[in-house]
Amino acid sequence: MVIQIDEISKLFGTTAALHPVSLSIPGGALVALLGPSGSGKTTLLRILGGLEYPTSGRVLFDGQDATGMTVQERRAGFVFQSYALFRHMTVFDNIAYGLNARPRASRPSKAEIARRVTRLLDLIQLPQIADRYPSQLSGGQRQRVALARALAIEPRMLLLDEPFGALDAKVRKELRQGLREIHDTTGLTTVFVTHDQDEAMELADLVVVMSMGRIEQIGRPQDIRTRPATPFVRDFIAG
Amino acid sequence: MTGRTMRHPFVQQSPMPGFGLAMGITVTMLSVVVLVPIAALLLKGADFGLANIWATVNRERIWKALWLSFRLSFLAALFNLVFGVVLAWVLARYRFPGRRLLDAAVDLPFALPTAVAGIALTALYAPNGVFGSVLADAGIKVAYTQWGILVALIFVGLPFVARTVQPVIEEIDREVEEASATLGASRLYTLRHVVLPMLTPAALTGFALALARAVGEYGSVIFIAGNIPLVTEIAPLLIVIQLEEYNYNAAAAIGIAMLLISFAMLLAINLIQIWSRRRIGHV
Amino acid sequence: MSDIPLPPAGLRPAAARRFHAPTDEAPAARLVLILLAVLGLGVLVLAPLATVFAEALSRGIGTALASLSDPQAWSAIRLTLLVAAIAVPLNAVFGVAAAWAITKFDFRGKAFLITLIDLPFSVSPVVAGLCIVLTFGANSLIGGWLVAHGFPIVFALPGIVLATMFVTFPFVARELIPVMIEQGRAEEEAALTLGASGWRVFRTVTLPNIRWALLYGVLLCNARAMGEFGAVAVVSGKIRGQTATVPISIEMLYNEYMTVAAFSMAALLAFLGLVTLLIKTALEIRHADQLTAQRRH
Repeated sequence: MVIQIDEISKLFGTTAALHPVSLSIPGGALVALLGPSGSGKTTLLRILGGLEYPTSGRVLFDGQDATGMTVQERRAGFVFQSYALFRHMTVFDNIAYGLNARPRASRPSKAEIARRVTRLLDLIQLPQIADRYPSQLSGGQRQRVALARALAIEPRMLLLDEPFGALDAKVRKELRQGLREIHDTTGLTTVFVTHDQDEAMELADLVVVMSMGRIEQIGRPQDIRTRPATPFVRDFIAG
Repeated sequence: MTGRTMRHPFVQQSPMPGFGLAMGITVTMLSVVVLVPIAALLLKGADFGLANIWATVNRERIWKALWLSFRLSFLAALFNLVFGVVLAWVLARYRFPGRRLLDAAVDLPFALPTAVAGIALTALYAPNGVFGSVLADAGIKVAYTQWGILVALIFVGLPFVARTVQPVIEEIDREVEEASATLGASRLYTLRHVVLPMLTPAALTGFALALARAVGEYGSVIFIAGNIPLVTEIAPLLIVIQLEEYNYNAAAAIGIAMLLISFAMLLAINLIQIWSRRRIGHV
Repeated sequence: MSDIPLPPAGLRPAAARRFHAPTDEAPAARLVLILLAVLGLGVLVLAPLATVFAEALSRGIGTALASLSDPQAWSAIRLTLLVAAIAVPLNAVFGVAAAWAITKFDFRGKAFLITLIDLPFSVSPVVAGLCIVLTFGANSLIGGWLVAHGFPIVFALPGIVLATMFVTFPFVARELIPVMIEQGRAEEEAALTLGASGWRVFRTVTLPNIRWALLYGVLLCNARAMGEFGAVAVVSGKIRGQTATVPISIEMLYNEYMTVAAFSMAALLAFLGLVTLLIKTALEIRHADQLTAQRRH
């Protein structure tokens, strides 16, 4: 799905989290929103997911104005920084949640839900953990379950907020590869937020560098590395 | 100190001073004020004999009163369970003018002495009272009926659920609710399947506290109850009546019965709580 | 990447109005819940409170004040203050001692001790009074001996104090224990290594750290102590001018159809409750950090 961001701005009270920014994301791309904290990258991601409403501007999905769509209507697979797993549900019930929450008419049968959950557990390479609770999982496992839960609703896009932020360096590296593979298998337009420039450069097709609520540069990793557009970008990728 | 040679010393060695003094004060006062008096009640019962206790308790008037106390206490706690969760939600989540006042008003039943609440509720719901006269026109009688007792028990138990649930709501991670929404769940579905399970253990704790309080409640109830034997006579009142007739054995028998039922109830509710925590509490 | 043409922007005020944060209920639902809370508390709690003052002032403020200056009313007020002045400090000492033992040391049976301290909360006040009567009444072992030596407990001041202490027993300890667990032992240990004596550590390190929680507990304990009815009704004997506390006087006056007098006394206690509530709210706002531990548990 093609995502277009047209002059989106966001004010919290009187402080501007986003100055009007515009961005087009081609269908099937894996995009990193890269920047330090307070750069507005998470706000932009949340506006895409329908968790925040922009102060001005439009969001378009495949050319259709989606600005007023509710979060439920958007069907964006969202992975939260804290993963936000439901701790009173097993891994199975977590992944099946979005399917069970559908109105009866469009809800798959129990057998179909079980089949899909099993397939997703295979996809994240954790086939044995269906009956466990989130508290019994490692950080890396939780992240993958959150990803599977987001994929279960057959999302139109995948949005990830600092997906590797809470993990140690070794697990982080493994899961980067995992996300790349899942992206390539599903072909979903994927946007992830990160403050880690290595992560953005290694993983993304397209990197959007942000600072203070503005987009500093949009480009392929090697372009940004060889031709930083602003002093900020040069300093940031050097650090 | 012999503790050094024991495998499990009573108290672990600590550089902190004052264990003897603090423990001495604690145990002495606990004994004089609470433990010895409760032991005296149980001893009185043992002295009176199980058969006699049963003979005293096993009368229609007493069964009716015990049943009334526990039934109405349960209903009042149930009402407070639902209303308390609503109150906690409104106070924790919404910002509106007068919220602080409302928040303080929740504690009023704790701050208002029971006798004061008792006569106020009676005046309010008596046939010539502000609420009572309106209700009387509708053909409903509250004061001097079981409805009156229910109103009083709701009053005294009102803060418990709200106050145990409110901090839990304040600590809910909003991302969990957002996650549910991004997965397509309606707000109602989120509340029912994500939020409510997180509140259940605390709500049950509040329910248990409200129930325990209501079962033993005396001051706020006796004025509005009318105290008609077999109809609106609560269990604690029977103890007072026996004592006024210097019938200590009978008073002790009823007291022990109440104590046992309270403890059994608390135990049952604790078990339910452990079960609910185990089922949904994988924190 | 602006190779994809943008369709023209249309007007969409309706969409903006439709949006509310996904963690909020719809505005209408919110309004209904707020109204439910306001109405419920208004009917269940605020209406009785208003009734107390309305009934007390139904014959004018002069009549209300006159009934409070009656000698028997004065004696009841003095007795209530006296009982609270004995019971509350004793319970505060107990609460601090128990919290110190429980939070600064590890010993066997700690959980059991905490259960015992909480016990009075699950005992009916009437049963509590009954226990005191059975222990210290004239025909009990201890009570008989004390009466013979000219020191009656039941139907006298000591009995009222004991009954009051029973029902308010856990208040201070319950406020202090979570706060002191939260604060740990490090500061006290540091003071000890600097050569301070045990008593000095308590006075200069522990007490300042727990003072607001202590005040909070004392406040709740005091409110309950001055208003206790069930337990005191059983042990007091209700001797006018001697063992009738304010709550007991309210009952006696009310049963004698002296409504204004009864409600004037009730208004006095209600006023006291409101002041307690005010201080409590102020403490929660100003010293939230020191009281949070207890609010969280």
